[in-house]
Amino acid sequence: MHKALKTSEPYRIMTSNPALTSGASAPSIPSSAKRKGRLTPWFFAAPGLTLLLLFLVLPFLLALVLSFTDQRLVTNEEIGTHFVGLRNYIRLFDDDSFWAALRNNFFFVVIVTPIQSALALLLALLVNQKLAGARIFRTIYFMPVATTMAVVAVVWSLLYAPDQGVINRLVGVLSFGMVGPQDWLRNPTLVMPAVMLLSIWQGVGFQMLVFLAGLQSIPLDLYEAAKLDGATARQQFLYVTLPMLKNTTIFVLITTTIYAFQLFTQVQIIANSGTPAPVDSFRTMVMLMVQEGFSNGKIGYASAISVVFFLIVLAISLVQRLLLKEERAV
Amino acid sequence: MHVNKNWFVKVVGFVGLGVASGAALAETPVSMWVHSGPGPEREVYAAAVKSFNDSQKDIKLELVALPEGSYSDQINAAALARKLPCILDFDGPNVYNYAWTKKIIPLDDFAELKPIKADLLPSLLRQGTFNKKLYSVGQYDSGLAIWGNKKLLTKAGIRIPAKVSEAWTFAEFEDALKKLKAAGVAYPLDMKFNYGFGEWFTYGFSPIVQSFGGDLINRNGFKTAQGAINGPEAVRAMTTLQNWTKNGYVNASTHDDGDFVKGTAALSYVGHWTYSDYKKALGNDLVLIPMPKFGKKAVTGAGSWNFGITADCKDPRAAAKVIGHLMSSAQILQLTDVNGAIPGTMTALKASKNYAAGGPLAIYAEQATEHVSLVRPETPAYPAITSAFAEAVKNIVAGSDVKKELDKAAKKIDQNIEDNNGYPVK
Repeated sequence: MHKALKTSEPYRIMTSNPALTSGASAPSIPSSAKRKGRLTPWFFAAPGLTLLLLFLVLPFLLALVLSFTDQRLVTNEEIGTHFVGLRNYIRLFDDDSFWAALRNNFFFVVIVTPIQSALALLLALLVNQKLAGARIFRTIYFMPVATTMAVVAVVWSLLYAPDQGVINRLVGVLSFGMVGPQDWLRNPTLVMPAVMLLSIWQGVGFQMLVFLAGLQSIPLDLYEAAKLDGATARQQFLYVTLPMLKNTTIFVLITTTIYAFQLFTQVQIIANSGTPAPVDSFRTMVMLMVQEGFSNGKIGYASAISVVFFLIVLAISLVQRLLLKEERAV
Repeated sequence: MHVNKNWFVKVVGFVGLGVASGAALAETPVSMWVHSGPGPEREVYAAAVKSFNDSQKDIKLELVALPEGSYSDQINAAALARKLPCILDFDGPNVYNYAWTKKIIPLDDFAELKPIKADLLPSLLRQGTFNKKLYSVGQYDSGLAIWGNKKLLTKAGIRIPAKVSEAWTFAEFEDALKKLKAAGVAYPLDMKFNYGFGEWFTYGFSPIVQSFGGDLINRNGFKTAQGAINGPEAVRAMTTLQNWTKNGYVNASTHDDGDFVKGTAALSYVGHWTYSDYKKALGNDLVLIPMPKFGKKAVTGAGSWNFGITADCKDPRAAAKVIGHLMSSAQILQLTDVNGAIPGTMTALKASKNYAAGGPLAIYAEQATEHVSLVRPETPAYPAITSAFAEAVKNIVAGSDVKKELDKAAKKIDQNIEDNNGYPVK
């Protein structure tokens, strides 16, 4: 599937992960060598597996254990840490902030993932044209991705300024003055859409690049054949481009969903900029976790949040995998 | 000592080793964190450090100024890594938590600090004491009242109270807001919402709750916040605050520190630290108005930033010397002259021009001596209390249901107390 890639393209991203093939053994090899052959992949995988165990599995198991304790961040050592059973979980499910954070997360994911993916495909199609300056536009669309999210959030919170902010003026001009200035970051119903807009603007360039790589890996002879058969541009897109982009699309959808769930920097910065909307109208799970664990020092409670959050994201990823079966033809 | 060192350097020079670093070798480094306050305050700190380093050769004081917004998070992170600086500057009510978690050590045994303890303002002595030991000393106490623009107030026909006994009543205060709004002042009362979410919300707005008769926690044993922070008095206080923003008396979304200076506000509800800026801008039109009696009595905030020595400090005696230098009358007055705060020792207070009877800031001192000021809750649970209350304030001014928010705050505080086994003290 990569044979049609033009090597001169500066941006190229592998869209399908080469599947890990376990040591295929030929029948004529003696058994000791066979055993060695079986072990070889483990040796190669060892550094990666060690790091995974050390930095992902172990911390998660720790979080699981801590979620049943009253562990604090900094404390008087004399009172120690105790197992508190399900207390953290009971408090969590009883906490309005938790449900609000979950709701905000889902709202964000449900809106942002499809829009951002569709927009990315659209941009990729645009900059894939053989036109003068296409490369410049590619760079321009990618620039927000290369900008630190903290900077993006600060700049956008200025754009969203009430009264005379840029966004307000834009809305005023576009609506011929019908829509008055809004207080984007303080209005509880507008703050999430505002966050979505800036997030899509910042993130769309990355998915665009992935789609671009996918587009460029489509063999040109397919289009030629389609043209010979008299397919219009629209038909070419529907019956050649889209099916050939299936794996890319699945990759984009799953990664965008996971990124969207991790929403933190933007909302954290908005939370710290003057007086924003009521925090429950835009606080996300990760932000709640950081605030409870780090600012409020409730490690046990924050661990319980992270365990619940992990299970939710895992479940969603599994469902996505089931619904969107990737074609593994390498 | 000084002579000895010169002699040492000379000997080294004579022997011809050429290593002239003798003077630097003997210096003990002492690190100090301060929150980076307004510009002039920062300059005074820098000058204080320089004067200390120039005055002696044994200790080298290194100053690190950190932004106030995430200051206590930084302290927590450093405490966790056991990398706290020797001397820590922190906001007063955190002392109980820091002492309870053993981040800081008692100061009673340092000879350099004994005379300072005896000279400390009673409010600061009370603020710095936990479990019968003194853990922190402050160069100043804070003053919280209302700055007024005399020209705008007179034009709107409003009586200006000149001393604590003449303080406005609640009705008079709301009437003043209404009159000012009618006279064309865009947002009559500036409450510094541009400071954002943080300690200001608790320091600034808890006196309103207390004046109405409520409090942040039941101070009898500090075991529960139920019935205090969400009691009917607290609900009334916070509903009042919410109404001020709804009626356009207060601009809760201001990002501008200069609303009062520009005349878009006629009253500025803020602490002492704005004094020099306001004086520069308004000159003789600047009046200091005592805290109104929202309920039965007027209440104002007390306590301010102060210094402690951390448990990670390798040379606490050197740190005590530094604090001794910072607590000298000359140093205190240099700082309070620019930030307008109440000088932290009796000696310095007597020497201050701003706080003499009839001085421009005398009302702050009057509020402190006439028991108008109330320290924030003296319990290790304070960080939990302030974050819960500040979040409630933030949500309430943004329009959330008052009772629901305060109930939530009460629950959070009580859970925190339960999490810490009621903060036992040995």
